[in-house]
Amino acid sequence: MIDLLAIEWLKIKRYRTFWILAALFMLLLPLWIYGVSTGFISPGGGKKGGNINPFATGYKFPEVWASVCYWASVMIMFISILVIILTTNEYGYRTNRQNVLDGWNRMQFYHAKVLLVLVLSIITTAYIFVVGAVFGRINSGSFTDLFHHLRDVAYFFVLSLDYLGFALFIAIWIRRSGLAIGLFLLYSMFIETIGKALINHYANKPYGNFLMLQSSDELLPFPLQQMAKTMMGINQDFSLNIYLAVTIGWCALYYVLGRLLLLRKDW
Amino acid sequence: MTSVLSIQNISKSYGPIAALKGVSFDVPEGSVFGVLGPNGSGKTTLLGIILDVLLAKGGTFSWFGGMPHDQARKEIGSLLETPNFYHYLSAYNNLEITAALRGKGEDDRIRVLKQVGLFERKDSKFQTFSLGMKQRLAIGAALLGRPKVLVLDEPTNGLDPAGIAEIRELIRSLNREGITIIIASHLLDEIEKVCTHVAILKRGDLLLSGHVDEVLVSEDQVEVRAADMNLLQEVLKGLAGVKKVRLAEQTLQLSCDEYTGTSQVNEYCISKGIILSHLLLRKKSLETKFMELTNEQKPA
Repeated sequence: MIDLLAIEWLKIKRYRTFWILAALFMLLLPLWIYGVSTGFISPGGGKKGGNINPFATGYKFPEVWASVCYWASVMIMFISILVIILTTNEYGYRTNRQNVLDGWNRMQFYHAKVLLVLVLSIITTAYIFVVGAVFGRINSGSFTDLFHHLRDVAYFFVLSLDYLGFALFIAIWIRRSGLAIGLFLLYSMFIETIGKALINHYANKPYGNFLMLQSSDELLPFPLQQMAKTMMGINQDFSLNIYLAVTIGWCALYYVLGRLLLLRKDW
Repeated sequence: MTSVLSIQNISKSYGPIAALKGVSFDVPEGSVFGVLGPNGSGKTTLLGIILDVLLAKGGTFSWFGGMPHDQARKEIGSLLETPNFYHYLSAYNNLEITAALRGKGEDDRIRVLKQVGLFERKDSKFQTFSLGMKQRLAIGAALLGRPKVLVLDEPTNGLDPAGIAEIRELIRSLNREGITIIIASHLLDEIEKVCTHVAILKRGDLLLSGHVDEVLVSEDQVEVRAADMNLLQEVLKGLAGVKKVRLAEQTLQLSCDEYTGTSQVNEYCISKGIILSHLLLRKKSLETKFMELTNEQKPA
């Protein structure tokens, strides 16, 4: 396992695109959260610097976890695209083939990428934890409630596996960089939203929420929406545990489908 | 002689097109084995299958008398179709990945870079390389970790004449060290100059395989003309070294054995009282032979 990651590291460590995108993610996330939490940025269109900015609430412990993880769940797109680039590069350079010619088998190639998804998720989650802890500390003045609601960070980890796993599957399936990124963005931004709306319209329960990426988005909803639902006493249709199970199910499915694709096709 | 690779009845199709139709042969240890055939004859497909990047429809193959394929590939240096490297990495760093995949421990990157004449450019990125340099790097990568077998698919692609001669010399010297080399090419010249064994493919069929001297026997022909062609033909049938006489375009073409050449024919005709008006030795090149073997059979 370490051997696979060591070789994956050789491919990444001098790849500038990777480091630029990763650095942008690491830089933009706290900047964005800082902007929203101080009311400087108001994504809902509220008046800048206005007296009431609902977005500026929720950056103390323990609500900070839900807020930080929500914004991170939006920006995970960066990392997903990175996974697509790193994987489709192999097809573009035909190094997937060369890796096998030089001694890996197909599954070693695949597992190296699956491990990469796992490691990127772990690192991103760890980073989210640090960002959340820092903002929580600044706004709460102490670490007293640090560990409350920390499950949101765990939900983020599962969400990350879902997004990156889906990205890896698309990359292996499509093989071409531009098309894979295009399809991934189209799917996550429009196709799934439309599909969800259609299913939820015709089904008696919102089963559309179980779609690939939506199932994990449900784990980390927009913080105010959550608050509003609780205040108005609206029942969730499905518990978070169900969404968690469905998301893990999708991750397993990506793994199995990716495996089948790689074993059956010519390289 | 033991064989490093044994191929049995390999077939492969791309949709309705049969790319390989039950190909079988053995590659003897220590040979330079040429896989020869025109474009689209299935050479690369065959090499792709024995290296596990393409899936065969049927048939089996075994390396080193049945070593597991994953293990066997680590003992094989290969260049298939194109040089495949990470564009953003230097030659030196690309080879680091190749070496790690082979898992041989020894770092002989400098040695192979010198061997293929890229040492000075080792820190240049792969994307800055010319086609010939990319090809050299791919050959260099194949040599990493001192493999027992080299599989080279069109290794002289993109090389200039000096480069081609260099690679040929490299192949010879590696072979002298005991490395078995499997080389695919549509350039007969390339095969003829270095190979000890050949397999000839045409549209997925194996036409012939075996020792190069047996498969590609070249026959010389003597052409003669005289005033009385009928008499000449009669008389020449009496010359022991002449195996076949054929009349074409007012000229007799003689297929002769190795002891019979123009002087023997001339001497014999004079002794029979015939003065030749035309006497020519025509070398039948391997190229003609190759064309004969691989050319489309005209429908009857």
